[in-house]
Amino acid sequence: MEQFTTRTIKVGYIKPVTMSERIRDIFTNRFVLKCYLYTIVISTFIAAFFSITKPEISFPVYFCVSLSYGFIYSSIIMFLIWSIKPDRIINLIWLYLVGICLGVLIGYQAKILILQYVFSVVTTKTVQDFFVEIANGFVFGGGIGYFINSQAILRRRAKDIEEERIKRLTTEKESLAANLKLLQAQIEPHFLFNTLSNILSLIDTEPTKGKTMLVDLTKYLRTSLSRTLSETTILNQEIEMIKAYLNIHKIRMSDRLRFTIDISDALRQQQFPPMLLQPLVENAVKHGLEPKVEGGEIVIKAFEENSRLRIEVRDTGLGFSDYNKTGIGIINVRERIVMLYGEKGRLIIAENEPHGVSAIIEVPLHDL
Amino acid sequence: MIYKAIVADDEKELRSYLKTLLAEVWPELEICGEAANGNDALALVVSLHPQIVFLDIKMPALSGLEVASRINSDCHIVFVTAYDQYAVDAFEREAVDYLVKPITKMRLVQTITRLKKKLQAASLLPSNLTEIITHVLANLQTQAKTEFLHWIKTQQKDATRLIPVEAIDYFQAEDKYTLVMTAEGESLIKKSINELAQELDPQQFWQIHRATIVNVSRIENVSRSFTGRGIMKLKKRSESLTVSRNYLHLFKRM
Repeated sequence: MEQFTTRTIKVGYIKPVTMSERIRDIFTNRFVLKCYLYTIVISTFIAAFFSITKPEISFPVYFCVSLSYGFIYSSIIMFLIWSIKPDRIINLIWLYLVGICLGVLIGYQAKILILQYVFSVVTTKTVQDFFVEIANGFVFGGGIGYFINSQAILRRRAKDIEEERIKRLTTEKESLAANLKLLQAQIEPHFLFNTLSNILSLIDTEPTKGKTMLVDLTKYLRTSLSRTLSETTILNQEIEMIKAYLNIHKIRMSDRLRFTIDISDALRQQQFPPMLLQPLVENAVKHGLEPKVEGGEIVIKAFEENSRLRIEVRDTGLGFSDYNKTGIGIINVRERIVMLYGEKGRLIIAENEPHGVSAIIEVPLHDL
Repeated sequence: MIYKAIVADDEKELRSYLKTLLAEVWPELEICGEAANGNDALALVVSLHPQIVFLDIKMPALSGLEVASRINSDCHIVFVTAYDQYAVDAFEREAVDYLVKPITKMRLVQTITRLKKKLQAASLLPSNLTEIITHVLANLQTQAKTEFLHWIKTQQKDATRLIPVEAIDYFQAEDKYTLVMTAEGESLIKKSINELAQELDPQQFWQIHRATIVNVSRIENVSRSFTGRGIMKLKKRSESLTVSRNYLHLFKRM
């Protein structure tokens, strides 16, 4: 659980990664070292190639020269990229070309100096030589560039995989939590035991009333238990269940509870998630009417408005005074609306005039 | 001697059920009154002086526990509850009589036997009962009190609305009032920032400035300004908030 929470927080901070950020990410000490190692390998190959094709100069000389060339190239290119951190591919390519040109200019001078002072070989500058140098430069630059690029791609893949994993874990966790909350939201033990007590008492005195209550309880339990995992049902089923729930309370509270349900047949056929409306009704009873000495009325209405389904549960109970105790049930409803519909759905809790609470669920009508 | 008893429960069926059961197991007991809420129960106790009171815990107006804590006269109280684990635990510990719903005959017989014994021994109401009840009540209330604020009551145009705290981006002090900022708009409430800081869940809301409390889940990022304070960007909001130096430690790297 602990792990999950830290991960979720991390997810919150992930933003689209820009190229300059990616460059900053890959430039570690290890990366620079690897780059130089790569340079040494390329230099060795080039020196070997030249000592075979032009055997008049020995391998160590070639190696020394190509190595110095290589270090100059990779240093210049890395320095340019690291210090400027281009944010677009085209700028990166420009930097590359500049790097190679600088590398050729400096490298060519370095080569002459090394040959002259270390190996006492005097070279003549020819135009043809200069083109060979530029070609060399591109080979080197290309090698280093390819290396940097492949490293960047590798890093990015690793990061993508990690992000994907975090995302998956988070959604898994969210759906798990939602299901769990759904389960928690369902049956309130207080309600269950009170209802059973009532049935027990009615069996002797008014068996028919007791039977009705038992049937209603069964209906309520069956719907609230079996639909837990199904995503949507039709509104009618939810309403039938709420009716059973209110009937039970009607027997318990007798004339302290009155209720009306006013929903057209067409809207009753609309798809609707299970157990989304019930907590609002439960709240109206538990925190609105039950604690109120004289009781009151619950009105459930649904209508269509701007292709939205708007369901209102209005009570004439105690109002907001008892509301902060409600906690989890209603908060779950809100969370589930957000999860199912994002910004297209909402829950409004307002004061009902002259007293009580009016809770309204708004969800999109046709894409459920 | 004929003993008198009162049955208090907000549900009519359950009162009559308990009365029928009592008539079976203790026919001599006289049920002298019935109450459907806490206020009535208390009034009956005061006027009728029963020796025994059956009190449902969950009743409108005053709860059974509240009624018990206000009873001064000499009477035995039996609490009745449908489901309240905390209360049942407390009663068990403090050796207070209680019944759980649905009430069974067997359990009721046990309670009655105990009651009769106490009454015949002419033992007075245990002198510390009020104390015990206050204790139980206090326990239950602290349990309720650790709950943090879930809703903010605001006035929007002409309607009063409840906003769930999850929907709030941040709170900003505005003179004596506090501005509540949500994606849908802003509204004023009378609670001060300091009061809010006490009542909101500290896991979910952080104070970042003398005048600002922010919903942690809305934080996009925090950067340092040249003056050493922090500048906070929130998700889906254009304005940025100031994090004063005293609260910057909240954002130190882990």
